[in-house]
Amino acid sequence: MIKYILLVLALGGAAGYLNSNWARVVENVWVSDYLSSGSLLLLLFIMGITFGVDRETLAKIRRTGAKILVVPFAVGLGTVLGGLVAGFVLGINVVGAMTVSAGFGWYTLAGPLVGQLLGAEWGALGFAVNFLRELLTILTVSLTSRGGKYVPVAVGGATTMDTTLPVIVRYSGSEALITSFSSGFVLSLVAPFAIIALASLY
Amino acid sequence: MLLYIVGSLIAGIVLGYLLQRGKRRVDLSRVTFGVIMLLIFSLGFSIGSNDDLLGSLSRVGAAAVMIMLLAVGFSVVFVKAAGRLVRLD
Repeated sequence: MIKYILLVLALGGAAGYLNSNWARVVENVWVSDYLSSGSLLLLLFIMGITFGVDRETLAKIRRTGAKILVVPFAVGLGTVLGGLVAGFVLGINVVGAMTVSAGFGWYTLAGPLVGQLLGAEWGALGFAVNFLRELLTILTVSLTSRGGKYVPVAVGGATTMDTTLPVIVRYSGSEALITSFSSGFVLSLVAPFAIIALASLY
Repeated sequence: MLLYIVGSLIAGIVLGYLLQRGKRRVDLSRVTFGVIMLLIFSLGFSIGSNDDLLGSLSRVGAAAVMIMLLAVGFSVVFVKAAGRLVRLD
């Protein structure tokens, strides 16, 4: 699977680069917006079917219950603490490093928002940190899912409610759907507030 | 977009539930694989066609990798620890 993912990702990257810098075959939004959203929604629909068909999933969720909210809480704390440590290690502004990490992988939010609050350079960092998180989640899911069903969810941060949900469910099974979705959902709600709050300490 | 996301998930779950009651066997792994590849392709395409993103990656890439890896590492450790604390199976 990982071989195909890397190959298709590289193909897509090359196609996107050539299309915008060399010969424009299609408008960029057709692929990066319409095809992307369309395939995502179709995939979530299929994931829903797989989930609904499985007789045991509901019972498993009932057993776990509200405890499931522990996951996004732990991911949020871990992420910001990781940003703090990285700030020290890199010798850059520690609050800035925490702010960029608080996108939790949602790079289309973190890039522009951090850019507005702390300037273009931090914005670029916010974009890159969170984009790399999404990429890492997809590329390593076959490995991280072996460490337990919550590990890929922890790696994915806010992305586990949409873009990385399908790959996580494919590897961790349909019972991971609710954990993954709810964790990503909570972190997506928290991300803008966390970024703004941390940036105000800068 | 959130509405569409939740909508397609719920529509799928309802359909899956109905199929289960009708005792039909459903194997969607091939379709899933194909659509995941479409999604990955469009992700690659968005990266390749986004000059701002490519520029920011080459400028701040090393620092970004470090922040990202530590953020992810601590997330995993915290989730593992919390999972043991509240006994998430």
